[in-house]
Amino acid sequence: MTVEITINGVKAKAEKGESLLEVIRKYGFVVPSLCHHHAVEPCGSCRVCLVSVTDNGRTKLAASCNYKVREGLDVTTDSEEIRRNRAMVLELMLAESNAPQVQKLAAEYGVTSSRFSTEETKALAAERDGCILCGLCVRVCEEVVEVAALNFEGRGDKRDVGTPYQEAPQNCIACGACAYVCPTDCIGFVEEDGVRKLKKWKRELPMAKDPSGRPIAPQFQLYYFTQKAGLPADFYKKGGPGSR
Amino acid sequence: MEKFNVFASRLIPKEDYVCSGHRACQGCAEALAMRLVHKVLGRNTIAASATGCMEIISSPYPETAWAIPWLHVAFENSASVGSGIEAGLKALMRKGKIPKRKINVIAYGGDGATVDIGLQWVSGAMERGHDMIYVCYDNEAYMNTGIQRSSSTPLHAATTTSPAGKAIGGQQTWKKNMTEIMVAHNIPYVATINPSYPFDFMRKVKKAAEIEGPAYLHAYSCCPTGWGSRPELGIQLGRLAVETGAFPLYEVEYGKYSVQEKVEDFRPLKDYVKLQRRFRHLTDDQIAASQERLIKEYKLLLKKEQMTREGD
Repeated sequence: MTVEITINGVKAKAEKGESLLEVIRKYGFVVPSLCHHHAVEPCGSCRVCLVSVTDNGRTKLAASCNYKVREGLDVTTDSEEIRRNRAMVLELMLAESNAPQVQKLAAEYGVTSSRFSTEETKALAAERDGCILCGLCVRVCEEVVEVAALNFEGRGDKRDVGTPYQEAPQNCIACGACAYVCPTDCIGFVEEDGVRKLKKWKRELPMAKDPSGRPIAPQFQLYYFTQKAGLPADFYKKGGPGSR
Repeated sequence: MEKFNVFASRLIPKEDYVCSGHRACQGCAEALAMRLVHKVLGRNTIAASATGCMEIISSPYPETAWAIPWLHVAFENSASVGSGIEAGLKALMRKGKIPKRKINVIAYGGDGATVDIGLQWVSGAMERGHDMIYVCYDNEAYMNTGIQRSSSTPLHAATTTSPAGKAIGGQQTWKKNMTEIMVAHNIPYVATINPSYPFDFMRKVKKAAEIEGPAYLHAYSCCPTGWGSRPELGIQLGRLAVETGAFPLYEVEYGKYSVQEKVEDFRPLKDYVKLQRRFRHLTDDQIAASQERLIKEYKLLLKKEQMTREGD
């Protein structure tokens, strides 16, 4: 069902139940976000995409990525109050993360150092190595790749994203989708000496090679594809020029 | 094939700003390159187009494939028009006539419009330091007017104005190295891109958009009609061009080189050449000589990378 909403005074049409953030961006307004991706369910973990929404005469600040569009919403994407709140969110995030992407976004909101930074949070930031616990890798692995090799663990300040028992996940096919979506590039996807490595998950898979000795993809990944699609076992052994 | 969900390609933006239904030939890698560029740049973009294949196929009157503001200008001056758009937007934002926001300005042209006819316009726009992107879609000849040679045509390639016969055997000069000309302008970002490596391609376009100041991208684009290759081989030819050293992938950021998809053992150039009709008159000696020169240039490139990265 099509509904009509207002974004910064501009009349906009959208489907009911769509993500508000995507509608805002479709109409060309800029709202920052770190944890949102169109291919997976929004979860609103980074809170950077805060906007002011007026629904039925009540105005509130809400994370726009997981706010479902309804008839008659009046949305403002930039104001003094919104900028102040985004700056606070980013300042909190900056205390626990040393990722350059977070620092850059924070600097846009005038935040260059965090008042919440202590020895403890610095140690935590070093341990997480840039990870902001947005959970995009977890959602992508589950919803897009359908392997579900990753998940959250722990609670509160012990919360972390990782693999079962902190060991290399045996079902990970090293496709690299998690490294591709990661907003802070903290997963460490490298290929060297014919081995593909995902450093954060400690997964290392040897690469299959085509007849001329160039790497194609991890052997286990090709095995997974042949199993899933019911292909003959030697399907990927034929190779050819530029077969990668 | 749908079962595979092959994965990262599912995560790139879904919206297209160069819509399907345009009139490009079957297997045109140039249209693919253009589509990928605009996928990355997104909605807040203004494009200025030189005359050429990409203008002809995307806007035959009264149709258009463009979902963003797009201007068609003369053969030579898309770069000047791009720089004018950028300056105009800056002035309007300064005067408060339009809200301040990031608007990507892109100018593009084919290899004829960039390397021959529009060279001084491109040079001027880059030298003045406008915050814009210039993309050259290099299909190595004037394809839309009927395959005439340009200075970007590789050695020995047969075109209608450099035919292979008794008197001459195709193009007589080596391909002009446009990327190095742009590097010599000392602009913030210069890169070569190839749609056969889509993730590298999109990363470089994104970088070009984010960097303050002018950026130049040189896109390899296979042309089945002009090259006489089979339409389904576009992506494979792109890979072969990189693996044989014919079109190395590299970027130069503030004067610092870095080479992507490094080749250690070169694939024989014959693999690349034999798939294209424009090279069918080539003798083994000519191929060997070309390969030798390509490898020499590649080694020079690696040396440049090493030298500019010293002390990092």
